[in-house]
Amino acid sequence: MILELRGLTKRFGQGEAVLEDVSLRINEGEIFGLIGKSGAGKSTLARCVNYLEEPSGGEVVFAGRELGKLPRGELYEARRSMGMVFQQFNLLMQRSVIGNVCFPMEISGWKRRAARSRALELLETVGLSDKADEYPATLSGGQRQRVAIARAIALSPRILLCDEATSALDPETTRGILALLRELNQRLGITILVITHEMLVVESICHRVAILDHSRVVEVGEVGEVFERPKTDAAKALVAGDGQAERARKIMRAIESYLDNAGLSELSAEEALRRAGIPID
Amino acid sequence: MPASQLIDLLLDGMRETLYMTLWSTALAYLLGLPMGVLMVVSDKEGLRPMRWLNAALGAFINLARSVPFLILLIAVIPLTRAVVGRIVGSTATIVPLTLSAAPFIARLVESSLKEVDAGVVQAARSMGATPTQIIWKVLLAEARPSLLLGAAIAVTTILGYSAMAGFVGGGGLGDIAIRYGYYRYQRDTMLWTVALLVIVVQLFQEAGARAAKGIDRRL
Repeated sequence: MILELRGLTKRFGQGEAVLEDVSLRINEGEIFGLIGKSGAGKSTLARCVNYLEEPSGGEVVFAGRELGKLPRGELYEARRSMGMVFQQFNLLMQRSVIGNVCFPMEISGWKRRAARSRALELLETVGLSDKADEYPATLSGGQRQRVAIARAIALSPRILLCDEATSALDPETTRGILALLRELNQRLGITILVITHEMLVVESICHRVAILDHSRVVEVGEVGEVFERPKTDAAKALVAGDGQAERARKIMRAIESYLDNAGLSELSAEEALRRAGIPID
Repeated sequence: MPASQLIDLLLDGMRETLYMTLWSTALAYLLGLPMGVLMVVSDKEGLRPMRWLNAALGAFINLARSVPFLILLIAVIPLTRAVVGRIVGSTATIVPLTLSAAPFIARLVESSLKEVDAGVVQAARSMGATPTQIIWKVLLAEARPSLLLGAAIAVTTILGYSAMAGFVGGGGLGDIAIRYGYYRYQRDTMLWTVALLVIVVQLFQEAGARAAKGIDRRL
């Protein structure tokens, strides 16, 4: 076990709890998914894991050490063993791609040359060797997220926290990023905690999953198990909601292939429905 | 006044104006930049929230900024005398100019640093960066273009104030405008002086804006 949350609670000011008694155990080497609707407390949980946000109660035990008890300097040390990837990438816009990847090494006191050569290796790993000297502004969303991932794993962290890492990306790019995460998990054995609201993400890369609903973890288990036999209402709603979305996608695809056959390939399904006078909403 | 004499006069005035303006800007940044950083760091959303310090510093900055420059110039005469040894001339003017510009610069710096994306700061924290590292390598580094733009505003504002200091024997172009234009009714001399001031302000502003654009790596 690499990470354990024990009875984690978080409330902002006097308000209602955003997290209520959350306990989770994450094993070394697994990809663990945490899924929930927006507002369920996922992002707060992500930030409590590395103490970017201080929990109001409970404990975070990472690699055998309780983060809440560490003095500041040691907390900074501990964070260096926890990489984090964000929905909005959060790259330094005034630094080149390689400058971004070097950043965590720079602040950990690496020699410039050593950092650069490690950064080049990492860029190779994420498939962006040719972009080393470009600036983030010139990259696509998927490329930016690859840079962010290279940066997050630069110090060989023991766990990678992905907070909605694919939520700002289109489906195609999402698949690429998920494949990269799976590859990193398999090749480097890095533990990954994936926080998301998308079933697809959990289904395609996670081993185990926890469902967060109204500030609490309501279900934990193997992905197949939880999704096939959801026990709680929240889990059922997630699975059912996703089933419906899947069905809608299939219908759209069917309409489009029908249009294709009819020689109307330039029409999207939405456009065709609109012209036929069928409102989608 | 013969043209050659006028040119000499204006060149001297220009030299003095630039001397006052640039030194005052540099010294005011020495005071104002740390104050601006402290405002951002101690903010309730900052790296080290310190409510009382933030409120006190903010109030001090507001207070200092609300004192009219000419009043401040006279009020700090004892200090000027102690530091420079005299109270007229361009070197003496640097003292009140610096003091009046520092709080203004603190606000400029504060607003530049607040433009830095909070997500980027969070990412740096997640990598184990210390607050000092975040100040230097994230806040100040990411805000460079905006800081430079702010510096252009600071220089031009200080230039305007330095002209005002001419009223009390501060030297520079403002001094010339007052002595020749106002006291001796030499309207053409005054117009030349004002024209020069306008040109210098334009140049600084334009150069600052271009430089800011030039170093900005965002599209």
